[in-house]
Amino acid sequence: MSINKVPNVALISLGLLVTLFVTPLSTKAQVATPQATPPPPAMPRSAQFPKPVEKTLGNGLRVIVVERHGSPLVAAQLLVTNGAEVDPPELAGLGNMTANLLTKGTEKRSATQIAEAIEALGGSLDASARWDSSRVGVNVMSSKIGPALEILSDVVRRPTFKEDEVERLRQQTLDDLTVELGQPGSIARYVAARIVFGDAPYGQPLAGTPQSIARIDRKDVVTYHGRFYRPDNAILVLGGDLKAANGFKLAQQYFGDWSKPSTPLPVMPVSKLPASASPRVVVIDKPDAGQAAVLLARTGIRRKDPDYYQGLVTNSMLSGYSGRLNQEIRIKRGLSYGAGSTLDTRREVGPFLASAQTKNQSAAEVAGLLLSEIDRLSSAAVPDLELTPRKAVVIGNFARNLETASGLVAQVASLALYGIGFDEINRYITNVQGITAGDVQKFAGAHLAASNASIIVVGNAKEFLPALRKQFPQVEVIPVAEMDLNSALLRTKQQSN
Amino acid sequence: MKQQKFVRVFMFVVLFVIALGCSAVSRAQGSLPRIAFRDRNLANGMRVLSAVDHSSPTVAIQVWYHVGSKDDPAGRSGFAHLFEHIMFKATKNMKSEMMDRLTEDVGGFNNAFTNADVTVYYEVVPSNYLETLLWAEADRLSGLTVDQPNFQSERSVVEEEYRQSYLAPPYGMLEYLIEQQSFIAHPYKRPTIGSIEDLDAASLENVRAFHNTFYRPDNATLVVAGDFDPKQLDAWVDKYLAPIAKPSIALPRVNVKEPERTAERRITHYASNVPLPAIALTYLTPSQKNPDAAALRVAATILAQGESSRLYRSLIYEQQVAQSADATPDLREDASVFYFNLVLASGKKPEEGERALLAEIAKMQDAPVAAAELDKAKNQLVTNELRQRETSNGKALSLGEAAVLLGDPNRVNTDLAQLQAVSAADVQRVMKKYFTAANRLVIYYLPKTEQSTSYLRSSEDQTRRVMGGQGR
Repeated sequence: MSINKVPNVALISLGLLVTLFVTPLSTKAQVATPQATPPPPAMPRSAQFPKPVEKTLGNGLRVIVVERHGSPLVAAQLLVTNGAEVDPPELAGLGNMTANLLTKGTEKRSATQIAEAIEALGGSLDASARWDSSRVGVNVMSSKIGPALEILSDVVRRPTFKEDEVERLRQQTLDDLTVELGQPGSIARYVAARIVFGDAPYGQPLAGTPQSIARIDRKDVVTYHGRFYRPDNAILVLGGDLKAANGFKLAQQYFGDWSKPSTPLPVMPVSKLPASASPRVVVIDKPDAGQAAVLLARTGIRRKDPDYYQGLVTNSMLSGYSGRLNQEIRIKRGLSYGAGSTLDTRREVGPFLASAQTKNQSAAEVAGLLLSEIDRLSSAAVPDLELTPRKAVVIGNFARNLETASGLVAQVASLALYGIGFDEINRYITNVQGITAGDVQKFAGAHLAASNASIIVVGNAKEFLPALRKQFPQVEVIPVAEMDLNSALLRTKQQSN
Repeated sequence: MKQQKFVRVFMFVVLFVIALGCSAVSRAQGSLPRIAFRDRNLANGMRVLSAVDHSSPTVAIQVWYHVGSKDDPAGRSGFAHLFEHIMFKATKNMKSEMMDRLTEDVGGFNNAFTNADVTVYYEVVPSNYLETLLWAEADRLSGLTVDQPNFQSERSVVEEEYRQSYLAPPYGMLEYLIEQQSFIAHPYKRPTIGSIEDLDAASLENVRAFHNTFYRPDNATLVVAGDFDPKQLDAWVDKYLAPIAKPSIALPRVNVKEPERTAERRITHYASNVPLPAIALTYLTPSQKNPDAAALRVAATILAQGESSRLYRSLIYEQQVAQSADATPDLREDASVFYFNLVLASGKKPEEGERALLAEIAKMQDAPVAAAELDKAKNQLVTNELRQRETSNGKALSLGEAAVLLGDPNRVNTDLAQLQAVSAADVQRVMKKYFTAANRLVIYYLPKTEQSTSYLRSSEDQTRRVMGGQGR
């Protein structure tokens, strides 16, 4: 819902970094009163980033601690370096069900006892699978991190996956999907993943489909846990108000005797993008949709792509409040509450998505705007006057993400997950600053060409289909009742119209 | 929503409950660091609160205007919030969207929110831009010069916000009904987002009148938190904000008193796009300034925060009657509404959900909560507040709320004692006092297509339904 997320700003700074390359606004001498032009900024102050330190325990568990004192909070995250991407195709949602079941009972605690124990400490255990990782996290007052880690260790290492808990979670997951698929935006993202990745792992719905969830049984969950939840396939990140030495001591205490299986580590699946990912234009006709979700989707890049920073800056030209998509769609035309894009970088090539929700009648216009803005980025160089502030946005967001214990841990965990050194944190700003207009245009041409982009619209088709068809004669229309997320065909029946 | 939000967003009750719900300080291990602040009152009536924290070279600037959707002009529901959006358009010395140039373009950000009682504008910027932002806030307090095309375009944005928040998501209209139906006399009965019809009727003339009436220094509180020099702040405040004159006309205040409820009221609403039936129960409770507010916050936490909460455990885990269950103490300035909303598990009837929920409420009335349960709730509330105060902007929010809505900025440091003092007997007392049948509104929110059919279905039906959405 439209909740204004309370932004997090604390210890790390953006001052220096940003102002270094932003020309102070308008000191143009004007004859007016002192109030007619904004006063220029003062001298910027410098900033420092915290430095993560790392050790590997005897069982292969990587432990990373990043100190940042000031607020008496500590965040912890245990990552298993596989998530939904290793779900067998017929069992989509297995990784996520496994993660969710961790907190539903261990050898020494029931589901209720786990919840009571962690919540008595003021925290909660957040367990889920994502792409490329499964995570269990907690955020508590620093005085309570020891007991919190004991519980975290218990659920990761000794879950019992009781049959009745599997059944209960299955029902809950089905209901959650029922609710989620009432949202045009959620449907659009699931459809986009199928179109871009076909039957490859990233094409599956992360939380599964009603059919795949119905197929998952306890044995599958136990097997998944046994294969992937092992210390030599996991990373523990602790961040915030604790000393590194204490962090390592706690890690040893609660995870040191987690034994490494003698079997070799599972082999990572190789990304297999659909051979000919020809772009599609797909409408999911949902006549009761109160607004249409419009999405442009195509492949993006891997996290370790050498053009990663070019990608970040290019995406920021499009996204963010003053990015081009929001400029054109919201600010100039009032067609949406917000338009933006994400370059979702993963272990393998992830998706690039541009999106906006708009009233059904304007869906075709918004689809056209998404396409033309992507296209404009590769057809003409961006002016420096526009590029410089967008780089400031990237840097500011990065710095703010490091300002809370949980944000700091998430950032460090992401670097660790993808095998990127922590000195990257200190190179980030220089790397962003070094991107030129030429880089942006080149990146847009090489990785974001509109000609390879698909369009997905979920909404009341009769309001926008004629206009959309004029732009895209090849449009496929799938009534929501016939939509099937189990395959890239996306429909259960032959097209009837 | 998963999509990143980068918009001036309508503040919907839940967030505020988080912000409001958690002023806390503590003894023993869970202690909150005190917020040391300065409190200045300018001759023109503006209050200036500031709290130094040099740990990061950033500064948060907030301006709290004591005007909210309860002050919407007649026939203009949603206007206070629409006006909030317009404050980012042209002013005397700034072009439209210049606020974004002064914040986003230098690596900071801005946003604003409106609720029933207040409208709050905030920016977080590198600290060397503090003077620039004080100038900008002064400029938009001095007057707006927005033109018709910009006004209309932003009004369309707000209408899309309405659709995105209330029409697109499955239970958006249930939230709307909770706001709209819980009050019968007080203007709180107008949801903050308003209606498309009333938004369409709004004019530039309304904008000018609203600014003249409510956007004045004696109705504003400036909060600055983060990296700044207090002396320099004083000088800039004197230079940019102190000269703004206080109008001579009186500031209108809502003084409608919501009558007590005398009998249970029940509403059944049929809507499209209702994946699973839902219900809501609402109870009127007193102003957030009432001493019972602390016990109500503790009660809501015991009932609904986390998987060890009573509603999760009983309704979702044990009985499996609900897909989700929430309790929100929605504390407001004039009168509050404590509401529950449940989405039912598939195959469950609304009557079953209502019965199960009422049974949990009765348990809280019949016996005091255990000491461990009470301590857990207090730990949860303190930790929530600590997380909010990790950032300068969060600290400023706590400070602004204490000053503007609770009437005393010191409450940012003293409310925790009040919270810690809540006893099991207090919780039981407020549960008995407010959660009566006569004080209850019950909303059934049901799918239109099933107006006359049963909600019971087999799991195969369930599957078809997931795939088929709301098929006609």
